[in-house]
Amino acid sequence: MTTNGAARRVDQFTLDNGLRLVTAPASTPQVAAVNLWYGIGSRFEVPGRTGFAHLFEHLMFQGSGNVAKGEHFDAVERLGGDINASTSTDRTNYFETVPEHALDLVLWLEADRLATLRDGMTQEVLDNQRDVVKNERRQRYDNQPYGTALERILRLAYPEGHPYHHSTIGSMADLDDADLDYVLDFHKRHYGPDNAVLTVVSNLDPEDVRERVERSFGAIPARPEAAEAPDAALTGLIGGPVAERAVETVPAPGVFLGYRVAPYGERDFDVMHLASAVLGQGQGSRLYRRLVLERGLAVDDGGAAADLLPFRYTPSLMLVNMIAREGVSGDELEGAMLQEIAALAEGVSDEELERARAVLERDHMQSLSHPSGLADAIGSSTQLFGDPELAYTWPQRWNSVTAEDVVDLAKRLLVPENRLSVRFDPEPAGEPAA
Amino acid sequence: MLQTRPDLGAPTPYTFPKPRRLTVGGGTVVAIDVPGQAFASVRLVHHAGGATEPQESMGVAALTNEALEDGFHGNSSLAPALERHGAEWVSRVTWDSFVTGVDAPVNRLQDATALLAEAVRNPALRDEDVLRRRDQILERFWLDASVPSTLATRAVGGQLFTGRYATPLSGAPVALKQVTPQAVRDFHASSIAAVAGTLVVVGDLTGVDLEALGSAVFGDAAAADAPDRTPPEPAGGELPRVVVLDRPGSVQSALLMAHRAPARRDVDLPRADGISDVLGGMFTSRLNLELRERLGYTYGAGCRFDLRRDSGVFLISTQVDTQTTAHSLTASLAETERLRREGVSETELSAVRESNTVGLPVSYSTARSLAGALVETVVHDLPEDHIDRLRAGFEALTADDLAGAAREYLHPSEMVTVIAGDAASLEGPLSEAGAGPVTVRDPETLWS
Repeated sequence: MTTNGAARRVDQFTLDNGLRLVTAPASTPQVAAVNLWYGIGSRFEVPGRTGFAHLFEHLMFQGSGNVAKGEHFDAVERLGGDINASTSTDRTNYFETVPEHALDLVLWLEADRLATLRDGMTQEVLDNQRDVVKNERRQRYDNQPYGTALERILRLAYPEGHPYHHSTIGSMADLDDADLDYVLDFHKRHYGPDNAVLTVVSNLDPEDVRERVERSFGAIPARPEAAEAPDAALTGLIGGPVAERAVETVPAPGVFLGYRVAPYGERDFDVMHLASAVLGQGQGSRLYRRLVLERGLAVDDGGAAADLLPFRYTPSLMLVNMIAREGVSGDELEGAMLQEIAALAEGVSDEELERARAVLERDHMQSLSHPSGLADAIGSSTQLFGDPELAYTWPQRWNSVTAEDVVDLAKRLLVPENRLSVRFDPEPAGEPAA
Repeated sequence: MLQTRPDLGAPTPYTFPKPRRLTVGGGTVVAIDVPGQAFASVRLVHHAGGATEPQESMGVAALTNEALEDGFHGNSSLAPALERHGAEWVSRVTWDSFVTGVDAPVNRLQDATALLAEAVRNPALRDEDVLRRRDQILERFWLDASVPSTLATRAVGGQLFTGRYATPLSGAPVALKQVTPQAVRDFHASSIAAVAGTLVVVGDLTGVDLEALGSAVFGDAAAADAPDRTPPEPAGGELPRVVVLDRPGSVQSALLMAHRAPARRDVDLPRADGISDVLGGMFTSRLNLELRERLGYTYGAGCRFDLRRDSGVFLISTQVDTQTTAHSLTASLAETERLRREGVSETELSAVRESNTVGLPVSYSTARSLAGALVETVVHDLPEDHIDRLRAGFEALTADDLAGAAREYLHPSEMVTVIAGDAASLEGPLSEAGAGPVTVRDPETLWS
């Protein structure tokens, strides 16, 4: 066990089977937030098998050796708990917040599906959840204005065959092709205690939590061998400008711009994070002040036009997105956005940088103020960087970034050669989609 | 050797934190101290929601609420000022309330609250700012309505009510165009600036001077009671019925089934929420298990009560594959009828009882959620121990109570079903679904 001294925030343990456990105190009593970060995301998928990590996340709720279909959800819901999961390129995350007395039960439910999921898996379950996921895809992507933007962005940002070339939801065809053998093998390859970080945020004694976790997870063997992810190494700029245009039934032109930046965790990522906040986070940001307020070119998004899509194992993306006001063409809006982006290379004031720091720090502190958010931040810091303390100290990374740093990096990265553009334009009146 | 399933021990009894209550000038401060919670939530509550708006200025409350973000100096000056304190503006209008506030680090609470006070009591409300906000809301209206579930939700009011509730909360395109900057200034002067309201504060309050916060926010504004309201009239038309909002080529349908419900004060919440939980309020509810987990038609299905001071609505919602739309509708009706006919199982009863009692520490594990509960008590004039009373009500629930609630609160024969989807594919199957006559509408004509 390692403890970080008098101002104790986290305690860390590693079980013999490789499971990393982190405990931290909650700011409200009588709750336990449990968060499991598995190091399996869509970056492990290969062409023809896309969408599988996410489909698998659904299957994890469909019963295991000692838990019937639906029972996991039922057990947590009848405790009034929160329960959900999510999948990204870099991980799959399962989380529950429950009343403190239910901690053992939740640990057992999580341990059971880690150890015995394959015993509960059937073709019927697979077929049902495949249909559910296809409807999720329709709801979030295909039947949603601008819903396919992210897919198009990833296709432009990363080359064919690269593990970040596709979205986590995958394609309908690949979902149709998923078979039971692959499901069982997937669990064997990726779901081992050695590939997980378990975070428990509660007011229980850390040693007490460790003993409970040992009882639930201690006997689950590590994977015989760790799965290898496809090579995600990538250097250089996008090789742009590259562009994709879609004419669809959207209400107004939508412009999505992207730039390859540093992997999540590197200093240049932090610099670009601040650049994105100067540019497009908050109503004090440049894009909001200039394009929403002064020029009236873009729809009011409250100041949420730019952000970074963080990828740990390959270059991340800075994304800038705005929707055109009535009478404003996509070309005009895109031109104005490019102008503002280019202007970052001409100078950033200290005051702008201070505001950007305050906005990022506020968002970070807000997420830590929730037991579940704190557990998630710790899980992320531990799984991706091996350092749970980063959850608390992350804002310090922004302190040493100067306006010159932002300008220098903008000069190198926010250039046409590193730019992708995805544009949605409404169909001309009287010409509906085929 | 894996551990056997652990027994769930007894939960620690939960009591909602007792708030401190101070009268400051014309207003009241209600506060909960959460030691260790460094991020505080501050909310100022006024009884000036959409329901009390005059017919000639529908949407004025929502527009005023948004225009306050232009702050004391105008030109969207509030948010950047708060950003420098690491704080965030949090505000919204409901049918029954006008809520403004900030979330801020407790060590910057005083500065952030001062900006809140300035924005609420003394905003610039310049013509150009209000007109810009109005035009932006109008454009966003259609942008948001291009999302099928939002379109269906906005159309439901006009199917259930006449009068104010027939038009969406933000006023809808034609009505909102008639709201002038002067109307916004008048509404603000009479309903917000001159009325003290109630200030909710939650966070680690060590060293926080609540009286000073209250004085800063209330100034010399007067106390005021919630305005009297007349219950709205029902809309005409045959019941049940189906309205299709045509979105040609949609691969999925957003389905919203709704009927009128009693006013909030006339509803026994544990019984109503309990039966709603069983039908669609939980992942393990009947609608979700049937439509998602058995049939695979949807990513999720649910239901809820939207209860207002003078009326209410019961809503079932889901989004389904186009070709399964009609069957989703009949399956949802069948589940609702079965619940009315057969009542609930002991398992369902215990799930309702437990989730609404032992789960309270989870529900109230953040400053925001605690503040939300206090706002609710202010808006609906509820007693301080409202949450504890609710808990007691859920603890006492019986299967007979829930069976009675199903018959009292769920009325499939009075449903209006609004579906945003591809009319050409839907009209035929829906007309045979037995959910009433089917009408197809062009969404563009709904609020003209």
